[in-house]
Amino acid sequence: MIEKRIAENVLAAALETGGDYSELYMEDTEQNNVSMVDGKVENALYMRRSGAGVRVLSGGKSAYAYSADTSEAALMAAARAAAAALSGVKEHAPAAFSVTRNCAAAPEKPYSLVDNAARIALLRDGVKAARAYSPEITQVTAGYLDVDQRVLIATSDGVWAEDRRPRGRVNFNAVAMKDGEAQTGAISPGRGEGFEQFRNLDMTALGSEAAHMAVTMLHAPDCPAGFVPVVIDGGFGGVILHEACVHSLEATSVARGNSEFCGKLGQKIASDIVTAVDDGTMPGEWGSIRVDDEGTPSQRNVLIENGVLKSYLVDLLGSRLMNHPRTGSSRRQDYTFAPTSRMTNTFFAPGTDDEEEMIRTMGEGLFAKSMGGGSVNPLTGEFNFAVREAYWVKDGKIFCPVRGATLVGRGADVLMQIDRIGKNMWMSPGMCGSLSGSVPTNVGQPRIRVRGITVGGKGGAL
Amino acid sequence: MEFNQFKEKAFEIALAQGCDAAELYYVEGDSFSAMVLEQELDSYSVSRGRGLNLRVQLAGKNGYAYTETLDAPEALVRRAMDNARAIENDDDHPMQGKCEYRALPKRECRIDAASEREKIELAMALERAVKVQDTRVNRVMRCGVGSDSALVRICNTLGLDAEGEECAAYSYAVPIASAEGQVKDGFAFRVDDGVFDVEGCAKEAVSRAVAQLGGAPVPAGKYRILFENQAMADLLSAFSPMFSADAAQKGLSLLAGKEGETVAASDVTILDDPFDAVNPRAFDAEGVPCATKAVVEGGVLKTLLHNLKTAKKAGVPSTGNGGRAGAAAPVGVMPTNFFLKPGTDSYETLVKKLENGLIITDVSGLHAGLNTVSGEFSLLASGKLVEKGKTVRAVEQITVSGSFLSLMRGVEAVGSDLRFGMPGASCFGSPSVLVGELSVSGK
Repeated sequence: MIEKRIAENVLAAALETGGDYSELYMEDTEQNNVSMVDGKVENALYMRRSGAGVRVLSGGKSAYAYSADTSEAALMAAARAAAAALSGVKEHAPAAFSVTRNCAAAPEKPYSLVDNAARIALLRDGVKAARAYSPEITQVTAGYLDVDQRVLIATSDGVWAEDRRPRGRVNFNAVAMKDGEAQTGAISPGRGEGFEQFRNLDMTALGSEAAHMAVTMLHAPDCPAGFVPVVIDGGFGGVILHEACVHSLEATSVARGNSEFCGKLGQKIASDIVTAVDDGTMPGEWGSIRVDDEGTPSQRNVLIENGVLKSYLVDLLGSRLMNHPRTGSSRRQDYTFAPTSRMTNTFFAPGTDDEEEMIRTMGEGLFAKSMGGGSVNPLTGEFNFAVREAYWVKDGKIFCPVRGATLVGRGADVLMQIDRIGKNMWMSPGMCGSLSGSVPTNVGQPRIRVRGITVGGKGGAL
Repeated sequence: MEFNQFKEKAFEIALAQGCDAAELYYVEGDSFSAMVLEQELDSYSVSRGRGLNLRVQLAGKNGYAYTETLDAPEALVRRAMDNARAIENDDDHPMQGKCEYRALPKRECRIDAASEREKIELAMALERAVKVQDTRVNRVMRCGVGSDSALVRICNTLGLDAEGEECAAYSYAVPIASAEGQVKDGFAFRVDDGVFDVEGCAKEAVSRAVAQLGGAPVPAGKYRILFENQAMADLLSAFSPMFSADAAQKGLSLLAGKEGETVAASDVTILDDPFDAVNPRAFDAEGVPCATKAVVEGGVLKTLLHNLKTAKKAGVPSTGNGGRAGAAAPVGVMPTNFFLKPGTDSYETLVKKLENGLIITDVSGLHAGLNTVSGEFSLLASGKLVEKGKTVRAVEQITVSGSFLSLMRGVEAVGSDLRFGMPGASCFGSPSVLVGELSVSGK
């Protein structure tokens, strides 16, 4: 992407005013999108994002400058603009590039070799299956996305790292309507691989699943409101870990004392059966990176082990402020963001409990089969997320589907209330938004049970 | 390559390759932002960005290709033409030709003349002001200042050449209040010359934090609800896609075909005013002149929001609501300055009218807990419990659930305290609104 000589000059210019660390991030990303509405291609888009960012640190302070122009002159201007935020005198010079991490392997089938016809063909079967599922399905939209991100990170402490991060995803959204009411169902698998990942995906099954969800919810009464036991199914159910806990373990919150989990390393923060992991190294997964956006290799981080807090997610700035080792967790959406601590593939490790028993013995409550997105305020730990497909449970038996359920609570409370963790763990992809933009992350878990959560909904007792 | 050179080359190639028309949407701009912590500059960011989106029209279909590197017009045209050939939707999407625009008043903001150093000083002053407001606030989580300026240019082979400038400055503070083991954060922001209102911004941020102290849930049940202006603006923002003709034509809005029908209480008027001072603009993202309109007037749905494509399909003129979710995005439909027209009741009067119920001051998780297709929401909320017209205590950890259309039909009173949220491509505003009964869950 750039000659080492130029990178050295840029890193040196960035340190002119007293910075003790400088970093150049360059990116060249290609992206293709196809969207389908009513079984017809609605839009096809191509996007190439390319630019660079220069970051300077001085202790715990940071300055960042980015530019779409990556000419030598523009990069030097960015370095000087970032340096201008500091007002000291030069104390450090960049080290020679002594650590090379070249992770830029090509995927088996790069997206640059795929044409629109192949992209569109993937969507057709799913859309057809969703429409055929029921006459109540009134609309099906589908989307295809591929991204091929190439990055270079050069740092003043001598790291020269390159990564290539292909990822692709399809989504199917079904709308079911009856008597002026509408409900939706959605599914969107994806992996951090080339086009070869779609070879084994059953698009017909995916389309049917989205339609099933929409039709089921169309015939469901409103979810009752209350504080009840909740069983959350595996896969995207792990969004509860993501929102209720791990955002609050990111250095962005912890380093400045703005998390409910500050100062709790080595302490019990969850029930004994809980082990939670963030692992960026899993080959081909949606949230995986081989090196992070500071050029550090990604790693498997055990965050909670048998209920005890073991690690935070820490980037360089966080490690300086927290005196905690870096965890290979520094990420950003693209060059227009300075990096910060983020998740990769985050999941509850499998437990030993029986998936059926946890419903059978729960009494009255909610079975959250498919989760939507959510959010959290790390300071207070207050989280919320939506349930796309849910069932009311009475006397340990599925009673009926219910629509419009939301789960809210406080992270520290809910972690202690987990009383069952099943055996089979799987993950699902999502996009996670935070200070450094939107990055692909996996969430995952086996089926779990929480003794009590506040369930929001507009229905009365069933 | 410079923009003009790239443009001429791209247009020439596109027409020579058989395109009926071609258009460039170009944005370039600078941004600055800084955060302070404990009276020191904590983080600082400056940028110079640009993006260029080529749209070609080929046999009536639009294809797009976007780049930030102006080096290869031929490759970009080829990508866009490939994408146009993939389109199967038969709806015609015309492009705007040459036209005249209303002249906007010249922006006159003192803050635009301030140096970065002076803006950082304002952020420092804001942090100081926040810390002396209340003994329960001794820390500020975030306090910052920033400014953006962008130049937007839209040119096409039909003679359109529209150019506009967008500038904005802002400041914000997030203080942390704590008492009796409870920790709460507040948020307030100011835009443009409001940035000089350091004291007002500090007071508001602190009062929003301390007002939540002592909060607890309420028992689940039906409660009369008063949405405070900012919470109502957030709700209106999240449900605004229901007013898009594009969503309606695709069967993704329950407002489809409801033009001329009563969809809300008679007190409800929703305006889309591109010329409002909050963020004025003369043309939309496809160069169509902007126009002010009532979307809902006296409870009756007057129009949905159109771009040239949806307007052609519906056989009406565009409402000037062509929008792009960023320079890389295709033309869709977006509101401009979209707000609920204020009524006459003061906030205090609304609280009296509420009598017994809840004031909702904040709603969270809008991207997850609501669905613009079904019109339903179930959101984490916080606010205040009101008994006999008086605020009794703070309320937290509840959800408030309902359907947007029922809520609009149930509006009992509209306040006079119109307030816009953070500015963006679209700006959303609302006064406080008494909406009647909704379901609430708590403990």
